[in-house]
Amino acid sequence: MKKLHNANKTCWNCPAAKLMGNIDFRACGQAGKLNLDADEDQEIVIECRRRPELGYFEPNITFEQCPEWEATDFGYILKNMKVMILGIDGYLGWTLALKLGKLGFQVSGLDNYTRRDCVMEKGAHTVIPIPRMTERLKAANDLLGINIYFRKIDLNDEAKVREFVDEVKPESIVHYGEIPSAPYSMADLNHAVKVQNNNVLATLKLLWIMKDIVPESTLIKLGTMGEYGTPLTGRPLFEGLFPADAMIKWDDREWSLGGETTPRDPASYYHVSKVQDTFNILEACKYWWLRSYDVMQGVIYGVYTEEIASDKRLRTRFDIDEWFGTVINRFVSQAVSDIPLTIYGKGEQIRGFIALNDAMQCMVRLIISPPEPGQYDVVNQVSGLYKVNDLAETVARVGINKFNLDVKIQRLENPRVEADTHPFEVVSKKLPRVFGFNPQISLDEEIERMMRVLREDEIKSRIDQKRQTIMPVTTWQGEKRKMKELEQYNPGTKKAEGYNPIFDT
Amino acid sequence: MKPRNVILGIDGIPYELMKNLSDKDIMPNFKELCKNYIFLRLKSSIPHISSVSWSSIITGKNPGEHGIFGFTDIIRNTYSLSFPNFNTLKCKPFWHNKPSQRHIILNVPSTYPAKELNGIHIAGFVALDLKKATYPMEYVEFLKNLKYEIDIDTSLAHEQSQELLFNELSRVLSIRKKTYQSLWNEFKWDNFMVVITSTDRFGHFLWNTYENENHENHDRCLSFFREVDDFIGDIYSKLGENDTFIILSDHGMESVNVNFNLNTFLEQEGYLKLGSEGKNYNRILKETKAFVLDPGRVYLNRSKRYPNGSVSESEGKSILDGLKNSLLDLKYEGKKVIKKIYEKEKIYHGPYVNLAPDLVIHEESGYQPKGNIGKINLFEKDNFSGMHNANAFILINKDIDIEYPSVENIIEFMV
Repeated sequence: MKKLHNANKTCWNCPAAKLMGNIDFRACGQAGKLNLDADEDQEIVIECRRRPELGYFEPNITFEQCPEWEATDFGYILKNMKVMILGIDGYLGWTLALKLGKLGFQVSGLDNYTRRDCVMEKGAHTVIPIPRMTERLKAANDLLGINIYFRKIDLNDEAKVREFVDEVKPESIVHYGEIPSAPYSMADLNHAVKVQNNNVLATLKLLWIMKDIVPESTLIKLGTMGEYGTPLTGRPLFEGLFPADAMIKWDDREWSLGGETTPRDPASYYHVSKVQDTFNILEACKYWWLRSYDVMQGVIYGVYTEEIASDKRLRTRFDIDEWFGTVINRFVSQAVSDIPLTIYGKGEQIRGFIALNDAMQCMVRLIISPPEPGQYDVVNQVSGLYKVNDLAETVARVGINKFNLDVKIQRLENPRVEADTHPFEVVSKKLPRVFGFNPQISLDEEIERMMRVLREDEIKSRIDQKRQTIMPVTTWQGEKRKMKELEQYNPGTKKAEGYNPIFDT
Repeated sequence: MKPRNVILGIDGIPYELMKNLSDKDIMPNFKELCKNYIFLRLKSSIPHISSVSWSSIITGKNPGEHGIFGFTDIIRNTYSLSFPNFNTLKCKPFWHNKPSQRHIILNVPSTYPAKELNGIHIAGFVALDLKKATYPMEYVEFLKNLKYEIDIDTSLAHEQSQELLFNELSRVLSIRKKTYQSLWNEFKWDNFMVVITSTDRFGHFLWNTYENENHENHDRCLSFFREVDDFIGDIYSKLGENDTFIILSDHGMESVNVNFNLNTFLEQEGYLKLGSEGKNYNRILKETKAFVLDPGRVYLNRSKRYPNGSVSESEGKSILDGLKNSLLDLKYEGKKVIKKIYEKEKIYHGPYVNLAPDLVIHEESGYQPKGNIGKINLFEKDNFSGMHNANAFILINKDIDIEYPSVENIIEFMV
């Protein structure tokens, strides 16, 4: 049998292992304060919260050996592992809560409904209707037998977050609790401040809380591929850190770049907030031996996981407005409502993408394969690279072939400050090679599934009600205005131009 | 006044030292006690180390019954080194067996973390957190006010400053004394047990200052034992006329000549095969027949017990026989380093014998067995000057009818 991806992880990675200190056994055993840099005579010892009868021991039991970790299709899973999801009411948060609950995790979460409020502020709504949280929780319990422990808390309310973390003592914290919108952060000064305050400061507070209460827990933080920008040199987008053999050459001299953080080139104040998070987390891992995976997620799309698709009451939200609608989700909703698919600028922008179900698979794999104390690692969570033009063509093709839709594509003046033609090479090796990630969802398949859902009468009607919110009016100059239409064309009539993406997996 | 038990432990001090320093009037209080009471050699545990010995002293049980066989163990179905503690002890100590009596238990090694009892328990080494070492928790503040220390700061020893280390030993001994004095009248108790552990640290790091009378710190050594003797005298002065008073050590100490790395020997003889992956015992490969845990505990790499275990029940005995012969031939500069090898069935009894080492090495004087993994040299010297031996002592203020008692008998002497 093939070894599971996390079989060789050890107590060193396990959140149940409490680092206790160092013991020097050369002369009857002298206990010392925890020093992770101590020499080899100072054995680092842990206590297992789940197996206190073992006493103190060196953190070397593998997940494969430990009876607390059970083999599943995702890898070894810690029995009843406690995972707290920040932003549990969101598109990803709710989906992950159900996935984890179904797998036997003890799920808790907080949210203050910022996403609902921000979308409402835009005059939009989730086109897939979602009930109030109390009803969602009841549905999860009634239909899936999952008990989710929820508290309405603003992540910026340090006292309440501290109290909740202290009460739950999560073994992993998935941080989806940020405002995930570039145009929202560019709307005006107040929005820029709100995004950075919500994202950067709340995360900073969370790090201090984790240090004090759950230092053995892992922070799995949602970053974005957008942190890297799109380097015009074509430099590959490594996974957060330069590989060991990377070199820099200047003035006839050379230096190693191995292990250093790669440059960030964010493209909005939202993306800047994610970059700032990255450095705050990196420092916390360095100063306090916290552990974190920073997940540079590609643009997310889709409506499917086994759990959310199992009943209408369990569905997750689906936004299509210019602030919160991601590109494929937006295109599909435009296609089903006879709105031309809107491309910004030349449409030769290339981005990394991942389907909702695949993203959830990645998250489960990361949660059950925690980093070591002090380890900060980055994964590029992407399953395919696509040019925006090509995506529009794909959505149109599926719409026309499978649903007989009349789909048009239009190019608009680009409201953003971004390169709309650029090379793009993405490295995404860790998830497939280290964590056993195996993408299950093809782009065409998920688009077809999305169309099927969005064509339901109620949902189509909700798209139609808010169709004006899809069109971009937020520019990077902080102005609100209608974008000029550059051209409109039929799918399949344009010759492909621009760079071809390179995907290193 | 109803009879009580007072036990004073002096960790790691051999019979010979107590006798010698009493005879020389360095320890006049102890000398006086020897005149009036019974002073005997006490047989330490096998192996003669604190965790095993104190576990036998407080339970009256054999390691096969209490389940502690060393400072380290290997967690079943893994090669992960564990450090058994009070949670691992399989038998109740006397204070849990006598819940109607009130107890004050101070600084007994291997009783960390402290557990609920009718009284007060402040655990001794190896203890990583004063809060978890203390029951009830209210006494943590009391200890902090006394600037209580569980152990000395041995980094001073590694910094090669004997003077600083002696000062540290005295400092911690004095805190221990203040602590016991503060607790003595805390409430009416039935059993009071306190252990001086600075003495073991003295033995490991500073034994040469005792043995070598010309050593520049010999006088400092003697003054340290005067302080120990003052501790003894102080307790004695507080005793009631019906109290049973026991002073004892858990093992003895002697000068170390050279360490011998038993796992290196097993590698050389083909019993142990190590891979390059992993740390410590996780490097053990399937071809391994046996390995050693500190100090000289030999374990067969049994197929049903370890992930890379390969030795079946049927072949165990012949492997052990061959190994014993090889080990008994081991020599350093022409002299044998192993005096005797015990087989587990002959020394242990009880429900946990199956967890015991298959063989336990009893070394010749001055040759210290070590279980380090991956050492290149078979014989090595380091900066520790003392090593354990089995020659513990006991002094008791009442008649006992055993000529050579062992650590497992102590409970019988208590009222």
